[in-house]
This record gives sequence, C-alpha cells and structure tokens, in this order.
Amino acid sequence: MSNISFLILRRFIFFLLIQVFIFNNFNLFGTYDPYVCLVFILTFPIKINKITFLIISFIFGFTLDLFSDSLGLNAAACLTVAYLRSYIMSFIFGAFFDPIGLKLIKNYISESSFFQKFLYITSIITIYHFLLFTLEAFSFKFFYLIVYKTLITSVLSIIFCYTSILIMVENEK
Amino acid sequence: MQKIIDFIIRKKDLLVFFVLFSISLGFIFNTSSLHKSKLILFTSDIANYTNENIKYFWSYLDLEKTNQRLMEENSYLKNQLQKTAKVNDLDSIVNPIFQYQIARVVSNNLSSLKNQLIINKGLKNGLKNDMGVINSKGIIGIINKTSKNYSSVMSILNIDVKINAKTKRTGHFGTLQWDGFDIKHLLLNDISENADIRIGDSIITGGMSLIFPEGINIGVVSEIIKQDKFDDTIMKFNIDNQVKIANIKFRENYLNIEVKLHSDMDNLNNVYVIESLNKEEFKNIKK
Repeated sequence: MSNISFLILRRFIFFLLIQVFIFNNFNLFGTYDPYVCLVFILTFPIKINKITFLIISFIFGFTLDLFSDSLGLNAAACLTVAYLRSYIMSFIFGAFFDPIGLKLIKNYISESSFFQKFLYITSIITIYHFLLFTLEAFSFKFFYLIVYKTLITSVLSIIFCYTSILIMVENEK
Repeated sequence: MQKIIDFIIRKKDLLVFFVLFSISLGFIFNTSSLHKSKLILFTSDIANYTNENIKYFWSYLDLEKTNQRLMEENSYLKNQLQKTAKVNDLDSIVNPIFQYQIARVVSNNLSSLKNQLIINKGLKNGLKNDMGVINSKGIIGIINKTSKNYSSVMSILNIDVKINAKTKRTGHFGTLQWDGFDIKHLLLNDISENADIRIGDSIITGGMSLIFPEGINIGVVSEIIKQDKFDDTIMKFNIDNQVKIANIKFRENYLNIEVKLHSDMDNLNNVYVIESLNKEEFKNIKK
C-alpha cells in the first residue's frame, strides 16, 4: 500500500471514530452536534483523482449514517461537498490553486491569507449543513427551522474544524 | 456515437456524482423497505452494538442522577401499590389493558430534525410497531422499526410525530407536535379559543389512540401564544420581548400552547415499553 492511501485510510478511521464516539454525544444546548468529520473532506489530498474522491467520500458519509441512524443523509451531503470542492477552491484561492495537485493542502492553509482559509472552510461547512437539514426535513414549510439549525450548527463546526486543521498543519511541520 | 462517448468521457465526474447521489436519495426515501434487507440489518446491528457500548461508557458519568431518579420512582410506585391494594377486590376494573416492559436506551440522537432512539429489545421480546415508550417522568416516543435484538423509536422530538393530548384540569383535547427549535418544549395545537387554559396547567396523554394509556404526564403549559395577522409565520413574544419565529401554521380560532416537558430528553437510560392488549379489538370496531 502506498504512502498516500495509507494516510487516507488512517484519517478515514480516525475521523469516523472521533465523530461517532465523542462528537455525536456532544449535544451543546441539547441539540447541536459539531461535525468534525468534515475535516476529512476539507483536507483530502488534491492529487487523488476526482472519481476516487467521490466514491471514498460517499462511503465515508454512508458509514457515518449507519452510526447516526439516518440512512443516506450524510452520504448525499458528503458527496455533494466533495464534488463542489474543486470549484470552491479554484474560486477562492484563484491563481494559487492548481488542479493537478503539486501543492498540498498544507501549503494552501499555511500560505494563504486568513480570509481565504476562513472562506474555504465556511463555504464547505455551510453547504454541507444546509443540504443535510434540507434533505432531512424535505419541505419548505420548515424553511426557517432549516436556516436556523444550519447557522448554529455551522458556527460550531467551523470553530472545531478550523482548530483541528490548524493542529494538523502544525503537527506536520 | 463518437460525440456521445466523448461527452461521457469528458463529464465522467458529473456522471459518477449523479449515480452516487441518486443511490443516496434512494436510501433516504426507501428506508422502510431497505430495513428488511439482510445487509442493512447486519450492518445496523453492528452499529447498534457499538453504540450500546458507547452509551454504556457515558452512562457511568451520570450514575448518581440515575440512582436518584430510580429511588424517587420506587417510592412513588410503593405509594401507588398501597392505594391499589384497597381497590383490588373489585372485579373488572383491575383487568390489565396495558402491559409494561423495561428496556435500556442504546443510542439517543438529538441533533437532527427527525430524532430517533434505539432501545435494546426487539422482536425477540415481542415488541412490535406502534407501541408507546415512556419513562418515569413522561412520554418518550413511539416504536417504528424492529429488528431481532433492537428497535428504533421515533422520539417526540420529531417534526413528523403527532400525539393526542389533553389538559388535566379542563379536559380539552389537542395534538402535540415538536416545532424543531428547542428540546425542552413542544407545541399543543387544535384547542379551541374559548378554552380556559392558564400557564401552569398540566398536560397529560389523551388516551384516544391506545398507544399510550390515558393520564400519563407530559408537561406543563409554559406559554400561550397569541395570534397575529401573519399567515404562514408567527411572531412569538416572550415576557422579555424576545421575538421568535416558528413555522407552524396558525389556525384561526385555535389556541397554540407551548408545553414544557417533564422528561429530560437528553438524559435517558431506563424506559418502559407499553403494549396495549386491546389494540386489535379496538381497531376492528373502528373499521
């Protein structure tokens, strides 16, 4: 097994376990759980081709679903975020972004401005949560509720994901 | 033909995305039929087993609270026993209509809009769909799926669940529903405007559906929401003039009441499953 696929496997298991064991029982104010597992998609190596990325994130979301008893919801949301990631990156990082993947995620995080990092993490997390709650409620009768839940859960997730990404980058130096 | 193949090769990312997305949509909308398939049952049993062990670990942390609650319940039941011992001589009144079974909560989800609990008893123990689940303080939910060893319970914190309830003092019936915002409060709709309901009244189960026996405590009235001229959205004013927006549609000439729950939904360990023995008879006569 090559080095990079071992890295992906290690992160896959680590983020799945940390989400299922700790953060699904977080329950801030009773109902809000941060989705730290999104770091897996945020820091997925760019070098890997897109179809493999889509399939792996689908499996990741599906495994998450089995543990939180919501079949298909996380899978659909993870998949969409994974598909949109390259477009979001090229939009936010501009000329700095290279689709071939010579630069690592580490370089993007350490060499871009705070605003760019923040926008990258925020946009992906917000899209993820909006999709998750929309698919779950599946009616526009609950529009206010969806927006309200998306906002609060996103803020929580952004705080946790941003910290854990910074810790990861510091660790690799 | 060449162009079509070219197109597929060029857009293969999008194609894979749509295929996988439709698979997951299929999962979302066919959960009931999928739960019969062997593979899903097997994997969800593994997931339930791990969740059970996680819950086992976390339950150590509030062992003291659980003990306290069980002691309170014991004393309450002992009092009840003394009361019923005197009535026991009468014949038909004491015929049991409902049967209770103890179960433990394996996993309790609170973060989604359609929350579910998993309990550690299933088909093996005779559990079926549409049985009610309560604990010592109030109602918890209704069973909607059962496997061999586990069953999943639609919690009352689920935007699809509607429960028949009434006020203890005046006896007005209404439907209880969650608005999705707060895990401590539910909304009671469909009570007519003339009803004399005050803050602090107790709300109990109505006993119209035979899922729950009549008279189980649910909570107390914490707020009576005034009707406004908005149609789809309502503005709710608290005592300190905080504005909340809820998306339950207002019906004219009906009160909308906010009910504060007795049971802590975020701290559940031991629950009771209620089986109604007369359900078949009731269903037959209703036809």
